[in-house]
Amino acid sequence: MIGNDIVDLKQAALDSPDSYPDGKRHLRFLEKVFTVKEQDLIIASEDKHQTVWLLWSMKEAAYKVNVQQFGKRFFNPKRLECELVSNEKGMVKIDIETYFTSSKITEDYVYTVATLKEESSFKTHCFKAKKLNYKLQSEVLKQQFLKSVAKNKNYNLKTLKIKKSEVGVPKVYRDLKRLPINFSLTHCGRFSGFVYL
Amino acid sequence: MTKEELIAKLKTIVQPYIQNEEAFNNLSENTDFINDLKINSANLVDVILDVEDEFDIRIENDDMERMVSVKAAMDIVNEKLAEK
Repeated sequence: MIGNDIVDLKQAALDSPDSYPDGKRHLRFLEKVFTVKEQDLIIASEDKHQTVWLLWSMKEAAYKVNVQQFGKRFFNPKRLECELVSNEKGMVKIDIETYFTSSKITEDYVYTVATLKEESSFKTHCFKAKKLNYKLQSEVLKQQFLKSVAKNKNYNLKTLKIKKSEVGVPKVYRDLKRLPINFSLTHCGRFSGFVYL
Repeated sequence: MTKEELIAKLKTIVQPYIQNEEAFNNLSENTDFINDLKINSANLVDVILDVEDEFDIRIENDDMERMVSVKAAMDIVNEKLAEK
């Protein structure tokens, strides 16, 4: 199982002004989302806004794996505890489960992939797309992902389709048969990304 | 506060964060913040802060955990108002 999450840092600043150190409700935002230990990491970091979203994307990516495992949604960012091994590598604990994360940080975005095993090999790609409405952007991302799968596994792109399960976890189908491909899709602002095992 | 008043207040709170206009226009107790309204999870934090400010209540993490739909938000607000 695998999960990913991308944060467009510009979009995040626009959408969540409280994530900025000078946001009116910044402290309350931090308190709702991060453990004391994580808040210390943010305060000690050079680029606080970037660290907020690095930790956030780690939590989101790990959460996506957790939902696939247990089929239960919840919203409690503090129940997910991040640990940074380096800027790019980290771990997220959810109750007794541990997830391993690897992140890519640029000026424009933070992108994290979470896996169950420390050394997983996965295919991932993130790209910039013209900002479209929600539905169109989601369609573009699905097509990019299916194109990659079709190419990799030698399938006809036209036979591939994505459908969501009851808890909202997407699955890929070839004609009517579900394929055993674990994957995760994410988009935010100008950026989109997919990953699969 | 009547049920309708509470739904109307919640509707005003979530409006800036929704990405699905159609689901917003048809908002009911059964509307899910993420699956239906497509509110991103970071903005769910804003929704929670806005709900705290609007009703002058404090939402603990355990309550937040189930606050994924209009119905759940209504239950939590009502519980917190009753405790006041």
